[in-house]
Amino acid sequence: MGDFLVFEGISKSFGELKVLDNVSLSIEKGTIFSILGPSGCGKTTLLRICAGFEYPDRGRVILDGKDITSDRPNRRRVNTVFQNYSLFPHMTVRENISFGLQMAGFDRSRISGEVDRYLELIQMSDQADKKATKLSGGQMQRVAIARALINKPQVLLLDEPLAALDLKLRQRMLVELDWIHDEVGITFLYVTHDQGEAMSISDHIAVMNKGRIEQQGTPVQVYEAPTNSFVAAFIGDTNFFETEITSIEDSYCRMNIKDFADGVIVYNDKNFPQGSRVYLSIRPEKFVISHAEPESHRKRNMVRGVVEEIIYMGTHTVFWVRVGDYRIQVRQSHDRFLLDEKIIEHGNTVCISWHADNCYILDRYDERDESLLTLPDDDVTVAPENIISAGK
Amino acid sequence: MKRPNSKIPELALSLPTMGWLVVLFIIPTIVILLIAFRTGDPYGGIGDQWTVENFSELANPVYRGIMVRTVVLSVLTTAICLVLGVPAGYCLARAEKKKRDFLLLLIIVPFWINFLIRIFAWKVVLHPEGIVKNFLLLIGIVNDQTLLLYRPGTVLLVMVYSYIPFAVLPIYAAAEKFDFSLLDAAHDLGANWYRAFYRVFLPGIRQGILTAILVVFIPALGSYVIPDIVGGPGGEMIGNKIAQKTFIDRHLPHASVLSSLLVLAVMIPMTASLFMKRRKTVGRGIIPG
Amino acid sequence: MRRSRIPFYLLVGMLVFLYLPLIIVIVNSFNMSRYGGQWGGFTLKWYSRLFSDRTIWYALGNSLLIALTSTVTSMVLGTTAAIALYRFKTRLQSAHRLFIHLPLVMPDILVGISLLLFFVALKVRLGLFTIYLAHVTFCISYVAMVVLGRLQDFNYAVIEAAMDLGASWPAAIRKVMIPMITPGIMAGGLLAFTLSIDDFVITFFVSGPGSATLPLYIYSMIRHGSPMVINALTGIFIVFTFTVVTISKKLLEEK
Repeated sequence: MGDFLVFEGISKSFGELKVLDNVSLSIEKGTIFSILGPSGCGKTTLLRICAGFEYPDRGRVILDGKDITSDRPNRRRVNTVFQNYSLFPHMTVRENISFGLQMAGFDRSRISGEVDRYLELIQMSDQADKKATKLSGGQMQRVAIARALINKPQVLLLDEPLAALDLKLRQRMLVELDWIHDEVGITFLYVTHDQGEAMSISDHIAVMNKGRIEQQGTPVQVYEAPTNSFVAAFIGDTNFFETEITSIEDSYCRMNIKDFADGVIVYNDKNFPQGSRVYLSIRPEKFVISHAEPESHRKRNMVRGVVEEIIYMGTHTVFWVRVGDYRIQVRQSHDRFLLDEKIIEHGNTVCISWHADNCYILDRYDERDESLLTLPDDDVTVAPENIISAGK
Repeated sequence: MKRPNSKIPELALSLPTMGWLVVLFIIPTIVILLIAFRTGDPYGGIGDQWTVENFSELANPVYRGIMVRTVVLSVLTTAICLVLGVPAGYCLARAEKKKRDFLLLLIIVPFWINFLIRIFAWKVVLHPEGIVKNFLLLIGIVNDQTLLLYRPGTVLLVMVYSYIPFAVLPIYAAAEKFDFSLLDAAHDLGANWYRAFYRVFLPGIRQGILTAILVVFIPALGSYVIPDIVGGPGGEMIGNKIAQKTFIDRHLPHASVLSSLLVLAVMIPMTASLFMKRRKTVGRGIIPG
Repeated sequence: MRRSRIPFYLLVGMLVFLYLPLIIVIVNSFNMSRYGGQWGGFTLKWYSRLFSDRTIWYALGNSLLIALTSTVTSMVLGTTAAIALYRFKTRLQSAHRLFIHLPLVMPDILVGISLLLFFVALKVRLGLFTIYLAHVTFCISYVAMVVLGRLQDFNYAVIEAAMDLGASWPAAIRKVMIPMITPGIMAGGLLAFTLSIDDFVITFFVSGPGSATLPLYIYSMIRHGSPMVINALTGIFIVFTFTVVTISKKLLEEK
């Protein structure tokens, strides 16, 4: 059941450039599976291999038990929603949607009936005879989806389908896509560089970088428990700390971070042995920031620092707190605005604390991934909606 | 894993034209070079012996004058076309769209009128009994004996007339892509209009100017009809000699010798332009645009 | 910045230079006196003489026949060439591109003499057929260039979309690409038609007895005939050209 669409050890190079390096994925029937990664990570090439526009140098694509690796695009039961829609500009909406069925050789009346149904699905029955070029971005998007879906593909490939739309429309289309997916129940393979899109629509996410899969799992797994610095930094924002494990306590471990007075206790899910030098990722919203020292607890870590920067974001406030060499990003929502509590100000000495279960030891760390993070003096004016994607 | 039969569509789309052009363009061009080494036959055909004798024809002192004239007239034509074409391209690119479309149309339309007729119009205009001569007589610039037709200057005039749109269009195409705020920037940095034009605009439309030179100079070298109709004996160019050898002397190998010479003359600017294009590609990383 | 007005004056001067001879010739075509040094009174006799000339109609027929056939052939060949150049980036296409470019820069007289020598060497009889072959040869390149220009902003993803929806590659080209670039193909065809009907030099070299086209006939009139009749012909040409341009511009604007 879990192996409806399988990529098996796919490698692909364009000249000297290795775009895909031994990529294997397995996608469950009826789900929305996202491939998320920065531009140039190879995600689009993987999608094009699935559609049949490229052929891998090595590896196989298996769809529903059949090897389709070298089938031509027109022989695969796979359809694509292209990045810029690629509607046929010389045809009307109706002609665009019926193209696939015409190619398959269905008779006129059957085609016409089907097209009507799909026009209704995308709520565009009244626009059927408009030229494709006369549509708005959102309408083009819907036509592109209907044009692909009408062929009842086994897998629908979506290549950055919302990239060309503006923000509000993107959010609306996302909901609509989800709804269409529920309606037709076809497997979606969704390629995007926008983690917000991937998080909200997918059942499963594979994070890709430089032609490899960095991590795959449900959106929650990928966000909450990133396995390496790339995933941690690419999805959302985080703080990295370099440490050494000093002792093991059951499934927890104790470690020293330079400039942190006390030892830090961390959940050791990967069973690193004592003495390992490791990197730690802590998401900014996992911290609690306060004037007063919080109640101490066996699994709570606390450190003191000086507030260097405060950025008010509406939905929350970002604090940059200096602790020795580290500048730690802390996010706090301000549900206590109306209380008389003293407000944290620039230059205050504060306590920041976090729970041992709320930080993750990374398998792998690469200093270059830090460039994916927000820097303290970066755009202060980012709109609140963008914050979730600020990590990229 | 390769796509099956991936070469077939490419070959199906390329071979018809390639075949056609090889047979009717490449091979005939090579034939020119071959026939230059053939003897002629008394009936105006091609003999069946190989010879190098034909090339001694070039020693004929008449040819030297004609070659020099051909090159000089072509260079002058190109220069004048550029001097007129660059400002015209600049104006067109700066004009607002409606005016620009209209002006472009005005420039192109005469060239939809038969080439021969345009040349003929000059013959009428410059005729000894024509309007220009009468006008010049009236204001006393020329006397009765002055000939306006059948001089190298006349050929130059009509060549400029005929080739100027070929210069304007590529220059305009390049100027249209030029970012005119650069001129304001140059001005802001202290350049006056002329210096900004010379130091910023001209380098900016370099590619258009090179194309213009190519498309004017090469056909100019091969001019035949213009000197034939308005040139007279004093305005002959190498094209006239080729035609004369072909149709009047009926000696095809001699015509081939002259044509080979013209082929070589044409190769020089063509290779130069290829070389310049390559240099441009190399420098693309540094030079924006 | 104070822009110089000089470029504009030069442009206007250039336009005067372009049109003055044509206007003089038109005026002259209604002039009784030869060469138009003086105005000898209004007449239409040059026009009537032109229309009673049978050879000119015969030559026009030849011209149209060759222009139509060579336009159609070069539209087909030029379009396939442009698609190949657009789609494939192989070494074969570099050669193909060179072959397409060369005829554009080769002076007419060389194309003419080379084809003449080639036909003579192969003992092909010169006539309408050799003219047709010659015209297709130089028209292919122009059509290919115009269509290729149109293809520059063609997004190949549309072809992939068609294949994705079940069309084979040839079907995708036929049903999607060709209709989308039809304006380019038509423009290329129009250019080929005008070049063919206008060509003198190449035709002059490869024509044989009885295959006079309109430009060839005009040339012989310029050399040997009455200049006043050619004035009249010029008048007709100019009026015809302006009419065609105006109509096509109107049609394009309506679109």
